[in-house]
Amino acid sequence: MKRWAPAGGVAVLAVLPWLLARHQLSILTELLIFGAFAMSLDLLMGYAGMVSFGHAAYFGLGAYGSALCLLHFQAPLPVALAAGALLAAAVAWPVGYLCTRASGIYFGMLTLAFAQLLYTVAFKWRDLTGGSDGLTGVPKTALWPGGPATAGPHAYYFLVLTVSVVAFVACRGVVRSPFGRALEAIRENERKFATLGQDPRRLKVTVFVVAALVAGVAGALAAPFRGFASPELMFWLLSGQALMMVIVGGMGTLIGPVLGAFIFLLLQEIASSYTEHWMLLNGVIFVVMVIFFPGGLVGALRGWWAR
Amino acid sequence: MSPAIAVEQLLNTAALSALLFLVSVGLSLVFGILRVVNFAHGMFYMLGAYIGFSIVSRSGSFWLALALAPPLVGLIGAALESTTLRFIYRRPPIYQVLLTFGLSLILEEAVRIVWGATAQAVDPPAWLAGSVTLGATVYPTYRLFLITVGAVVGGGLWLFLKTTRAGLVIRAVAQNGEMAGCLGTDVRRVRTAVFGLACALAGLGGVVAAPMLTAYLGMGIGVIVEAFVVVVIGGLGSIGGSIVGSLIVGAAQTWGGFFISEVAMAIMYAVMAAVLIFRPWGLFGDEE
Repeated sequence: MKRWAPAGGVAVLAVLPWLLARHQLSILTELLIFGAFAMSLDLLMGYAGMVSFGHAAYFGLGAYGSALCLLHFQAPLPVALAAGALLAAAVAWPVGYLCTRASGIYFGMLTLAFAQLLYTVAFKWRDLTGGSDGLTGVPKTALWPGGPATAGPHAYYFLVLTVSVVAFVACRGVVRSPFGRALEAIRENERKFATLGQDPRRLKVTVFVVAALVAGVAGALAAPFRGFASPELMFWLLSGQALMMVIVGGMGTLIGPVLGAFIFLLLQEIASSYTEHWMLLNGVIFVVMVIFFPGGLVGALRGWWAR
Repeated sequence: MSPAIAVEQLLNTAALSALLFLVSVGLSLVFGILRVVNFAHGMFYMLGAYIGFSIVSRSGSFWLALALAPPLVGLIGAALESTTLRFIYRRPPIYQVLLTFGLSLILEEAVRIVWGATAQAVDPPAWLAGSVTLGATVYPTYRLFLITVGAVVGGGLWLFLKTTRAGLVIRAVAQNGEMAGCLGTDVRRVRTAVFGLACALAGLGGVVAAPMLTAYLGMGIGVIVEAFVVVVIGGLGSIGGSIVGSLIVGAAQTWGGFFISEVAMAIMYAVMAAVLIFRPWGLFGDEE
């Protein structure tokens, strides 16, 4: 049964658009985009044990990359996605190099510091990024010149679904590869790994770049979906939300963070209609989960299943 | 650059460094004892600024705020440590860091609920509000006060750790918590006390920062990023590292900002990148 669960999930997601109202479909599209974003963070946290507190920076870079491409060159959408992903990965390389220089405890601090630097750059570089207003009017272009349009809600949803499924399969491939096993070995005991004659830092930088690449794709999908890219997409609060999604869903499972994103955003959707201070509730849930359910939802379900 | 301006810039460096020191030294202290990087540390600085603002606006006395706000922030910190962090010290470090990050989400939103999203100005006491003439330089008295506070706290903390019995116990726990516990130290109490002390220092930083910078919502995250840069440059776990790191970051910001304001931040990061490349464990940190 377990083997067919992912296929069943995709089948449900493929049928859902015909059962949902337009507003609900738009929420579902957003859920998938953030699911992919949270999944990319899990690649770092859950497998390599590297907790990034600035992952939103790469989501934002992806969004700016695709927005600039679409606004200035009216590029086909896949080209814009690739541009966003490559921009995120290109920035992540030097940042990842520096963040992994010092020992483990410094990594989280450095990711936050660099993310806030990138946020400030996006905020201040008015000519390129539009400053605090961001870039508005980002169009949903065709798949190729003269090809099928993606502007309709259904079409864009299926584009997002396809990209998310590809991203999931790719991430699963990464964690099951020898490279992924090596990452888990580093997480468990970095010093031991190093004494086996391997260089842990090279692998850590690589996975940092791969995670940024996937986050960049998610961000690149978000910009045309929302029609804008703004500095808030790179702000630390969004990095915090991604961490929440991973923790609530269960780190080290890839699918857990996607579920976490679903729960988190639905909760936000419901709570924000009652109070504007939903972040407080989120923070409390986050702390409670860390203390009592470190394995997240998937971890709790597995424990219950095994009993 | 005339000598008068150079003196002014030097004093600005010292004032900014004093603020950074008040925050980063607590971060370093907590790491030394708890082995946790406290992501919520900047939020206690913000809390200090806002509580200070409330006390000043009710009572009209800045000194009352200076006396009450830091211990209050310290108590809040100690209460949070003993109700959340205390339970997960045995887990891998990743969970403790995540927990403090969750606390910072809560504190940020709590401040927004209590004080709103607008910045609040705090008046310094009348006799610190003016400026003094130092040779050819006319300098705001309040910033000289900041430098004094930084120096007094730095010196006081050093004396406390080196000469008192409580300081001895803290140093013992920092060196080897398990051994200190076996010799009869209540390590749990030391952890809570040090966490509270560190939060109180950050709160003090917030109180004294408010008359210069106002109390505003982004100040917590802003200062924690700068404090991180300070401890990466100086090295975690040593007071000397905090002092030197604060001076370097303070200087980078002041002098960078003097020439082209946009490059101040870039210079700060460039210095940090250089330290990471040539001395990744920080100028004063221990190579593992």
